[in-house]
Amino acid sequence: MNDNYHIFSDGRVERHNDTVRLVTEDDEKKYLPIENAEALYLHGQIDFNTRVISFLDDHGVAMHVFGWNDYYSGSIMPERGQTSGQTVVEQVRAYDDEAHRGNIAREIVAGSIHNMRANVTYYDNRDYDLGATLESLDRRRDEIKSVASVEEAMGVEASARRAYYAIFDQILPDGFVFGGRKYNPPNNKVNSLISFGNSLVYANIVSAIRATALDPTISYLHEPGERRYSLALDLADLFKPVLTDRVVFRLVNRGQLSDDDFDSEMNACLLTESGRETFSKEFEQTLDRTIDHPRLNRKVSYQYLLRVEAYKLKKHLLTGEAYESFERWW
Amino acid sequence: MSGHTDERTGETDPVDLLLESARDEAVESSFHVTGVMMQYYEVCERELWFESRNIEIDRENPNVVRGTHVDETAYDEQRRNLSIDGRIAPDLLDDGRVVEVKPSSTLVEPARLQLLYYLWYLDRVVGVEKEGVLAHPTERKRESVELTDETEQQVEDAIRGIYDVIRSETPPPATEKPFCESCAYYDFCWSC
Repeated sequence: MNDNYHIFSDGRVERHNDTVRLVTEDDEKKYLPIENAEALYLHGQIDFNTRVISFLDDHGVAMHVFGWNDYYSGSIMPERGQTSGQTVVEQVRAYDDEAHRGNIAREIVAGSIHNMRANVTYYDNRDYDLGATLESLDRRRDEIKSVASVEEAMGVEASARRAYYAIFDQILPDGFVFGGRKYNPPNNKVNSLISFGNSLVYANIVSAIRATALDPTISYLHEPGERRYSLALDLADLFKPVLTDRVVFRLVNRGQLSDDDFDSEMNACLLTESGRETFSKEFEQTLDRTIDHPRLNRKVSYQYLLRVEAYKLKKHLLTGEAYESFERWW
Repeated sequence: MSGHTDERTGETDPVDLLLESARDEAVESSFHVTGVMMQYYEVCERELWFESRNIEIDRENPNVVRGTHVDETAYDEQRRNLSIDGRIAPDLLDDGRVVEVKPSSTLVEPARLQLLYYLWYLDRVVGVEKEGVLAHPTERKRESVELTDETEQQVEDAIRGIYDVIRSETPPPATEKPFCESCAYYDFCWSC
């Protein structure tokens, strides 16, 4: 149950007998085997009707919709998704208790610093001298233990991420100038790749959260947002270095992206359909990678790690057992 | 009728608590014991605590799906489901015996305890004596189960044990058991 299907072309998804099929504008028909699907990702302009939604619902498959600029615009989730009043009550209790909220927020920041650090170490061992960045991340990691407020925790997270992003220009080849994180809209190729990657991480985490009865709007590090699934933002921070950033480095360093994969207008730079296709193919392969899980005693996919993270948080909230955020261990 | 009190705590014995509220609907009690709680108590007290808090996990777990399927299809023709007070739901065979169907005999003790609880409940609350039969349709095996002094004691001890587990603020810690890996809560317990 963990294949994601990405649809980039414009057209229509419809139920056809016992499958879902995509009919593109030039009347090409593609069938999507739905039995093993986790979610459909719609990137193009797609028509669909209630019949296909009921069908996806029966098979427990979510549908995530992306807007013109690759931003996540919403999901159609299977009705069978879990709901539990008690879980939401405990989520809110933890949010409302400053000390409790702070503990969770600090744990998330500590985990995301660790995961950024893992990427820096990887390149430090490969001909780059990144010792100063490692030290800076270590200091942030110490600092996070003693921050008093969630606001300060956000501040530590932001400065760690700045230090981390500062090495991108060293690691990435000529022609891929980063110059710091910019979004709304992304201003260059690297930023457009990171934006697209992060929105995929985000949507995958929305699916993982919805499988656990946690309410995606009640969060600890980020403020509960009115228009965003802020709990997905919390957990996405942990996984961006492992998923988005590694995919960006891999594609760019292997020269798998060309100018045709980007569309620059005014100050914005966005991925074209072919760019998004290349990116999500690599991204999906990364989600499918497996790793020995020391506690679960089996191999689990990177994608399943997202689900595990939601379980861990839910367990913490409902049982009081400690929450230790995801830290890359390999 | 007032129940026995526990000498240590001065609290009502959970067995009496359960019987009083079951016999007299005017007696309000939040303490209910279902058949599946009996099973969980025998299998894993942590699972029992999760169940009592409605912590549900992974309904697509293959073992859960399989168990439900066996339960829904076995002896379909001769089985009548009987729900009593909304508290217990034993299945009756045509010959009047109470039947409990299990997909396999690997976890036979929990199923036996569940069946004994139904027999005990029918005897003590409803006032009918029934015989029980434990059936493993996939293995074509059946065995008969009866309420005796010894098995009654077993049921009542389990009721007290269940009371202690579900009243606790926190779940019993996870302990590795041979059947953990086939449990629907496995990832929840061990993901850490």
